[in-house]
Amino acid sequence: MQIEKKLENGKLTLAVSGRLDTNTSPELEGELKLDGVSEIEFDFSALEYISSAGLRVLMTAQKAMMACDGKMTVTHPNATVKDVFDMTGMSSIFTIV
Amino acid sequence: MKRRLVIFCVAVAVYAALIAVAWEIGTRQARKNTEWLLDYAVMDVHDTVAGAIDTMLGHVARTAVRHIGHANAMSMERMANGAKELDIDEVNVVTRSGRIIASNDPFCMGVEMAGDPVMDAFMKLTNGVTATVSQPFRPHARNPEFRAKYLAAAFPGGDGFVQVGLDERRLANILPSILGYIFDEWLLGKTGCFLCADRETGRLISNPSRHRDMAKSLAETGFDIAAAKPYEIIADGKNRGKTFKQRIFGEYCYCRMFLFGGHRFVAVLPQREFYDTRTIFVSAFAVLLFAVFTALGIFTDRVFRDSDRLKKFYADDASRREKDMTIAKTIQMSALPVDIPPNPSFEISADMQPARDVGGDFYDYFVLDSSHVAFLVADVSGKGITAALYMMTAKTLIKDTLLAMHDPAETLTKVNEDLCANNPANMFLTAWVGVLDLKTGVVSFANAGHNPPVKIGSRRSGCEFIKDRSGPVLAFMDGVKYRGQTLRLSLGDAIFLYTDGVTEAVDENNAFFGEERLEDALKAASDSEPHHLCSVVRAVVAAFSGGMAQADDITVLAMRYIATPGAFSRTFPSTQEGIAKASDYLDEVVSNGGIASLSAKLHIILDEICSNIVKHSSASVFEVVIEVDEAASAVKLVFTDDGEAYNPLSHTDPNTSLPADKRPIGGLGLLMVKKMSSSLAYRRENDRNVLTVELAIP
Repeated sequence: MQIEKKLENGKLTLAVSGRLDTNTSPELEGELKLDGVSEIEFDFSALEYISSAGLRVLMTAQKAMMACDGKMTVTHPNATVKDVFDMTGMSSIFTIV
Repeated sequence: MKRRLVIFCVAVAVYAALIAVAWEIGTRQARKNTEWLLDYAVMDVHDTVAGAIDTMLGHVARTAVRHIGHANAMSMERMANGAKELDIDEVNVVTRSGRIIASNDPFCMGVEMAGDPVMDAFMKLTNGVTATVSQPFRPHARNPEFRAKYLAAAFPGGDGFVQVGLDERRLANILPSILGYIFDEWLLGKTGCFLCADRETGRLISNPSRHRDMAKSLAETGFDIAAAKPYEIIADGKNRGKTFKQRIFGEYCYCRMFLFGGHRFVAVLPQREFYDTRTIFVSAFAVLLFAVFTALGIFTDRVFRDSDRLKKFYADDASRREKDMTIAKTIQMSALPVDIPPNPSFEISADMQPARDVGGDFYDYFVLDSSHVAFLVADVSGKGITAALYMMTAKTLIKDTLLAMHDPAETLTKVNEDLCANNPANMFLTAWVGVLDLKTGVVSFANAGHNPPVKIGSRRSGCEFIKDRSGPVLAFMDGVKYRGQTLRLSLGDAIFLYTDGVTEAVDENNAFFGEERLEDALKAASDSEPHHLCSVVRAVVAAFSGGMAQADDITVLAMRYIATPGAFSRTFPSTQEGIAKASDYLDEVVSNGGIASLSAKLHIILDEICSNIVKHSSASVFEVVIEVDEAASAVKLVFTDDGEAYNPLSHTDPNTSLPADKRPIGGLGLLMVKKMSSSLAYRRENDRNVLTVELAIP
């Protein structure tokens, strides 16, 4: 997994490529430094798949944004990832673009 | 043989006894015949002689009547002259009143006959009807030393009569002339004769012609007068005298002798004739008896021979049957398959225990190709060598056909045709034939009237009889099309085949072992390896039967499906590091396996399940098996860990419709696994958690 991180005007953009699973999600979680961040965008266009460990990180981020009236979007998930969101009910929680 | 000898001896003894009885009866009969013949001869001769004398005296009396004319008193001189002329001893003229008025004997003159005890009989002549009256010889009234016979003839109209008297002593002169012609050809029996001799001189006046030149007197014939038992014949003929034995003309004869008119009359019957009668009777009886005995003997012999032949036949049959059974057993045992090389994908074990009367059970298993194994159990009708040979035929046919066709239903259809084409003994067989696809666990099978096998799943899923819709027995009816069916074995499942020797084993109360007991036995040993399963069932059946004789062959076959051929398997430490390595391993498999499209899903599943194991089960290691079955378009993942018993499927799925702040985070992983897989199963096996996940290849 590789993460490209960009912070601009309180918007944190994380482009995650590769696999987001038990092995890699702790790394992503470590990148989530949310002080002064009011918007998060996960760019999943290069993400192969996501497991429940990855979902946990996304849920943590989502709750943090909801707590500070911030916003979180997930962009360009592939079919597999989208399937995961659908089957776990995350599609109704995340803003998927 | 000994029995025949005994019967022969008994027959001879009975035969001898019956002959002895016949001899005795023959002797008595011959004696009776002899007595009767002699009796008859004596009376006949006596009557003939007496008749002849009467005839002669009658002639004399009637001549005197003619000469005298009527009853008148004539001088004694004239009467004496008349008597001399007539050659008679006494002549009396008697008046109608019964008075003798003329006689040649002065002593008789004036005698009154009427009222006289002896003479009164003559008075009948005065009634004008009776012509002559005769009296037998009796002592003379005046001189009882000699005997005389009187005969009287009446004057016409009953006007008195003439009485003539004959002195017995004068018979010596008269008899030869009247008897000679009687005796010459007179035969007594066949060769017997009558002898007549003068009492005083012993001179024979009669003699059978054949002996005429040999003897002139009775003594010369060899007759011993001193030893004879003579008797007088009395008028009533009741005294018939006694028979005695004498040697006459050189041979022993039975004789009777009576005295008459100064003569000895001897009836002679050679003893030879007596013997002849008896011999003929006894011989005839002996021949008849012999014929009867021979017939009985032949009949009895035939009966014995038949019964001996039958006994021998049965004895031979029993030993032949015994031999047949040994041969049949050898054929049957030699027909069983040799062990096939160990295969990591399955284990198989079978056992057949022939009954004493060898039934026709057989089983078979063989590998069809790298991913298919065939197994079957069958039971041929009948017993013994016929069943064993038929079994060989059927077994070879099934194996050859199955090797060529691979499909159980088509195989049974073809085998049935072949068996029906040539089945003179009207044998038939039941068979259950299955082919296990090692890649998928699918068993294609077809049933020809055989007992339903048992599928043995995990302890939780239990045992199940595969009660399909069976086809008819094989070789019974041609044109039958057998229906192919399938069942699925999961990895670790077993299937158990058997013959009716198992379910129809009986205990001492004649109760059947039955399917329920079989199921119980299999349940109790469901985790065991096939060899042990077979042993357990056999032991339970044996315990059930107790001391009862095994009536039918007992055949059992068990097979356990262990792994897919060519499955990828690797074991990892139960750590985060282990999960990473398992993921790399999955990449490796995916790159080789042509299942790239499933890569992401497989990784997710692997990640979820392995992280669960690492986080929750305190396992030290976990094993990941990846089986790709392209034919079945499926991928199977099997996760096994040595941790605490934990069934992830026992949790309820999380509610995925709650708002984010209330949404639980746990359980989502397993939810995904469930949704992505086509089947998901957990079992605890040998202190290990085994989770099986299957996915369809799109």
